[in-house]
Amino acid sequence: MSNNESKRVIPYSEVNDDVLRTMTKTGPGYYVALVVCFLLAAGLWGGAWFYQIYVGQGVSGLQTPAFWGIYIANFIFWIGISHSGTLLSAILFITQTPWRRSIYRSAEAMTFFSVMTAAIFIFVHMGRPWNFYWTMPYPNQRLLWVNFLSPLMFDVLAISTYATSSMIFLYFGSIPDLAAVRDRTTGWRREFYGWLSLGWRGTDAEWHWLNKAYGFFAVFIIPLAVSVHSIVSWDLALSMVPALNKTIFAPYFVVGAIYSGSAAIVTLMIFVRKFLKVEKYITIDHLSKLCMLLLVMSLIWSYINVMEVFTGWYANTNYENEAMIYRMFKSPIAIIYWLMIATNTVAPLFLMFRSIRRCVPIIFFISIGINVGMWIERYLLVVSTLPRKYFPFMWNSYLPSLAEISMTVGSFFFFAVLFLLFIKLWPSISIYEVKEDIGIPRKKPHTKEMDHEDGSPTWYI
Amino acid sequence: MSGVIDKIKERLKDFRRPGYYKEFDHHYAIVIDVDRCNGCEACVVSCYAENNLPVVGEQGCEDNRVFNWLRIERYIEGEYPDVKVKFIPVMCQQCDAAPCEIGCPVYATYHNQDGLNVQVYNRCVGTFTCATYCPYDVRRFNWFSYKWDKPLDEQLNPDVTVREMGVMEKCTFCIQRIRGVNDKAKDGKRKVKDGEIQTACAQSCPTGAITFGDLMDPESKVSKLAASKRGYKLFENLETKPSVIYLKRVMD
Amino acid sequence: MKRRDFLKYIGVGGAGVVLGGVFGKISRPPGAKLIPYLIPPEDIIPGVGAWYSSLCTQCPAGCGTVVKVMDGRAKKVEGNPLHPVNKGKLCARGQAGLQALYNPDRIKAPMKRKGTRGNGKPGEFEEISWERALKILSANIKDLSDKGEAEGVYLRTNTVRGHLDKLFGGFMESLGSPNYSQYELYDYRSLRFANKAAFAIDAIPHYDIANASMVLSFGADFNSTWISPVNYGYAYGEMRQGSGVRGRLVHVEPRMSLTGANADEWVPIRPGTEGIFALSIAYAILDAGLYSGKDVAKWKTALAGFSPSATARTTDVAAARTLKLAKEFAAAERPLAIGGEVVAGYDNGVSSLLAVNILNYLGGGTGAKGGIIPNPDELFFADGTQEMDFERGIAGFVKDAASSKVKVLMLHNTNPLFTTSPKLGLELALKKVPFICAMTSFMDETSAMADLILPLHTSFEEWGDDFTNPAVGAPVATLMQPVVSPVFNTRGAGDIFVALASAIGGKVAEDHHWMSYAEYLRAAWNDLYDKNAEISRGTLTFDGFWNKLLQEGGWWKKAVNPSGVKALSTTPKKVGKGLFAKPAKFAGKMSDYPLYLMLYPQAGHLDGRGANLPWLQELPDPITTVVWGSWVEINPVTAKQLGFKEGDKVRIESPYGSIKAFVFPYAGIRPDTVALPIGQGHKLYGRYAKGRGVNPIEIIPAVADKDSGAMALNCTRVKVEHSGGSGRLVKIEPTAKEHGKPTQHGRPIVQTITSREYKRLKKETT
Repeated sequence: MSNNESKRVIPYSEVNDDVLRTMTKTGPGYYVALVVCFLLAAGLWGGAWFYQIYVGQGVSGLQTPAFWGIYIANFIFWIGISHSGTLLSAILFITQTPWRRSIYRSAEAMTFFSVMTAAIFIFVHMGRPWNFYWTMPYPNQRLLWVNFLSPLMFDVLAISTYATSSMIFLYFGSIPDLAAVRDRTTGWRREFYGWLSLGWRGTDAEWHWLNKAYGFFAVFIIPLAVSVHSIVSWDLALSMVPALNKTIFAPYFVVGAIYSGSAAIVTLMIFVRKFLKVEKYITIDHLSKLCMLLLVMSLIWSYINVMEVFTGWYANTNYENEAMIYRMFKSPIAIIYWLMIATNTVAPLFLMFRSIRRCVPIIFFISIGINVGMWIERYLLVVSTLPRKYFPFMWNSYLPSLAEISMTVGSFFFFAVLFLLFIKLWPSISIYEVKEDIGIPRKKPHTKEMDHEDGSPTWYI
Repeated sequence: MSGVIDKIKERLKDFRRPGYYKEFDHHYAIVIDVDRCNGCEACVVSCYAENNLPVVGEQGCEDNRVFNWLRIERYIEGEYPDVKVKFIPVMCQQCDAAPCEIGCPVYATYHNQDGLNVQVYNRCVGTFTCATYCPYDVRRFNWFSYKWDKPLDEQLNPDVTVREMGVMEKCTFCIQRIRGVNDKAKDGKRKVKDGEIQTACAQSCPTGAITFGDLMDPESKVSKLAASKRGYKLFENLETKPSVIYLKRVMD
Repeated sequence: MKRRDFLKYIGVGGAGVVLGGVFGKISRPPGAKLIPYLIPPEDIIPGVGAWYSSLCTQCPAGCGTVVKVMDGRAKKVEGNPLHPVNKGKLCARGQAGLQALYNPDRIKAPMKRKGTRGNGKPGEFEEISWERALKILSANIKDLSDKGEAEGVYLRTNTVRGHLDKLFGGFMESLGSPNYSQYELYDYRSLRFANKAAFAIDAIPHYDIANASMVLSFGADFNSTWISPVNYGYAYGEMRQGSGVRGRLVHVEPRMSLTGANADEWVPIRPGTEGIFALSIAYAILDAGLYSGKDVAKWKTALAGFSPSATARTTDVAAARTLKLAKEFAAAERPLAIGGEVVAGYDNGVSSLLAVNILNYLGGGTGAKGGIIPNPDELFFADGTQEMDFERGIAGFVKDAASSKVKVLMLHNTNPLFTTSPKLGLELALKKVPFICAMTSFMDETSAMADLILPLHTSFEEWGDDFTNPAVGAPVATLMQPVVSPVFNTRGAGDIFVALASAIGGKVAEDHHWMSYAEYLRAAWNDLYDKNAEISRGTLTFDGFWNKLLQEGGWWKKAVNPSGVKALSTTPKKVGKGLFAKPAKFAGKMSDYPLYLMLYPQAGHLDGRGANLPWLQELPDPITTVVWGSWVEINPVTAKQLGFKEGDKVRIESPYGSIKAFVFPYAGIRPDTVALPIGQGHKLYGRYAKGRGVNPIEIIPAVADKDSGAMALNCTRVKVEHSGGSGRLVKIEPTAKEHGKPTQHGRPIVQTITSREYKRLKKETT
């Protein structure tokens, strides 16, 4: 392990203590943050949503040709965020990347929470959300099956599957840690975690099955994640709207999703290590590696962005080109378009330099910038195209209303509430895998080969 | 092996057919002679009256939430003094391969046996997908619960649903009139005569620019008009197969 | 039964009783509660619509309608397919008539003034009973007639024809007052005067646009508002794609109106010179030897000053273009020139329209087919009550009122305060009238001045008829029947006058001895039936005829072998005397007020009467797509010079006042002209109309045509400057910011073919 700062070998007990500390010993700051976030989420999102349900979808800025607006942008954004966690965790797990271990738990949680947020945005966006269950394929007295041709139906299935699997993935990986928490707490926690840890005792058989199951899900979830965002892209790509009807959309969305998700992980990790004081587990090395990932994704993403322009150009379809020109050169859309290029194509290029990769404040800002840029991308996709379809007579512009902005802002607080609850109620750093990372304390520095000598579990699949 | 593949292909072909019917009973169509249309907008008000379209007021118009199922598009081209103003009525094109039908997850919009692209308000959950997928921008959404100042509500046509908040709607080719006439013909054990069914817009159009009829009847007026060499469809290249046929305007 | 169930039933039943009671009380008198549903009326089948033929009164065109009535409520108005005027079609305004019937702002009961006159606040009136209201009115009239001052009774109505007109006329005559006249902003009196001068027909003929092969329209917006838009709309469609050759339409107007937009060629002429242009075309026809009638030499001398090259500077139309048009016009198989309200709206309106008639005569536009067909009116207008009183226009009335000649003024469905310039002084004059009674359905600007308001039925609740004028070359009478029971406590104007007559007593009561207007109407038709073999042909009894009348919606004669206007009643010499040599005069100096002001009726609102109907408010203007407001059309070049962009609020200032409106840059208007629609800017007139937009009539001077007495609308120059202020331009088409230019952006939406290609295609298919 090439971890400079943690030259000191951390004892196992310290790992347990550190993680448990985040769960049991919480200062008033945490509660203040939780309450504030909760109130803001409830007020900004819940309140505005209630208002919208009560008065009508008309409180949004949606209008006749621009039927999709900021809600759909948010939905795609949150689905995008969700990609990194699970996908990162699974891919890095399969490739046995050691630096994944301290960050993957939070990343997976992030996935689950952002899928939840995204799913709620579907309901927010619906005209009659109280009838949401009509989109579920189940035998009903309406004698009506759902339309499996609809990309929205793909969405329903893909997102629900994805949410379920990523939850299971998160849960499976956490069982030994939940057991560890159970063992070291008293009172309601002992009962609660006892129940959650499914009677985990740490036998060889249990470890064996856990590893098998975890490995299976890791493999399973990768194509799933890829498909989810491809399907989300088809929501847009299957329409006949110029500049949306493109075959490049599926890879574009998947890349964008991983990109935004990784950026979100960087942001979140910086928060977590700062406020939970777990710098020794989430080290600058981890962040630096994530930054390399960001750099790579940024290059792929930028490449696809360029290709998007070529799509219309090669095909020589006027409507496509007009839409791209509108997006790129007509104010005010163009301003935010170039802002997006600045944050997502230009700024990440600086991550090429090692010194910048290791400077936490800079990567923090770059990662925030990427998140903002990715949100803009989704916003632009919807807002620069739908109001300008085929009939110039109907051309229009869309501006989000206060209610929409309020719900957008509120969704971030909603996410924050979930995450705050998570770090309080769940071991947010994988105890057992960090321990693996440390290895068994020895006099000599830990090396990878020693795992085998030691007879410690190898969990290839 | 190839037999199996052919069979599957055949199956898929059926499945791809809009509405999943082997064949349709009718193919209702509207022919709009743009050379006749003078842009007077009588059809628009007629549509409002027939289909219980709510009036959204100044703010609603400002927000582009007008309920004009049928709109007259007006384009001004050229510079003074060589100005050309062009009008064209655009309503739901009742596409045979309707993009909106693909989008709806709950079958709120589907093809019925008459070849019409119908909207079932009760099934609609308001995902806006149909409206987004529609290349013709003809779908309208009930953003609010619209109210009629009493006693204006006494005018509401009982044959047409007053839509509730949160559902999508669009031009239906006055399906209530189609149904009414068909039922009457059925009661009289006779076939529907050409011209017996008239949509509200076709009925009121002073210049006779709008003609409604059944394209499956080769003798009908629309069939004859649709064969005109001036005929074209809006954005035919999108392969939506619209049922509204326009006749080109003669203009130098 | 369980206790819970019992309570449920009690609750539901109780609510039902209460609701039923409330509805019952509202909808019908107590006795009629149950019976109709035990023994339902034969024509009410729940859920099944019945169609009744009737008459549209949304404008004076006189279209026949059929009204769909379901469960006792009017649901839809369509054109009467049998009716010769509108042939089963109906315009936007006609369709919206339903909203006048069910308008929430209708006056619901007779009202008497409480406070002072003038600002028409609702609190100023108190509701009274019909008996009391009629008593007040009849006492006022009786008072005068007893004193022998019956000529102090004035009755002014909107355009009313048929037996209501006869009743009004007869009533006033019996009373001994000559002061019955009709007022309408667009009453085409200049056109009538010009026709009288040219062809000796004091009427509007039928312009057979349908069969014309070339229509040269001088500011006649017949596609939108002119005279009988549905009839002309139908004719337009037939002219374009009817059975014959595709007709050509050339529109001469400073602003490209809806008709101009549909024309093949638009001639943006300098305002006020249309008459001169018409004569220069006539000159060119003469000059090219294309006129083969008599008096060629005389005509040549008469029109000597109007050679295209001489008038080109005045009219701003190149001489070559005039020559081309002249050749086209003369060469056309069935040419037709029509002069419209834009031309009539100048102070030289009559002479300009006369010039158009001369052009028709010289160019061959007076033929029977595709020309000018006079309407023989001896059948229905035999007693001549429909003659127009050219001297006593609205200006004459104002003079009378100002000199306190008007003692009792009865207004019927007319709103002259809205449609006349404030400079005319009508408001002041009305204040001098001791007693005003307004019969109207809506509280409008003029009705607010009244002392007594009698709410009228709408055309859906009332009996009536109409002798369509202009008809379609043959007499047309349309019957109006009540299709729904009255929505509010209103009465028909006919019934009011019949009741009034009996209340006044004396000769008036003797002459008008009927119990109701319906009875009068039937009796009058019986009279017509007995007198005219033409009408009674085909039916055995009057009852049979009456039923047929109700069923078909009226009686009309087929135009058999219509004849055109051949004779000219004026002489070349008279023409030459310079009756119309000068361009129109405009108020305001060119240096101070650089732009001509053109006013035109908004398609949905006509002269403002449609502004209270939400459908029409939300109906986009065909050209600008503006809804719920007013705008000013300015050429983009001028707008750029003045620094305006779309949606800017500007002040339009004439020497007589100023108003504020929003800019709509429109390439279809001359750079030296601005245009404003009439129809908005009501101070009253219900929740939908009140305080919306501006009324441009407020800034024009009170200029009347010296011949016809018509108020000139286009007679001032204005200047336009930034004003700022609240409000915004609301259009159906999104604003220019998103849109760029209002073009198709090269997309194949409205596809066109050239006329040459069209001819080739037509040849191929036949």
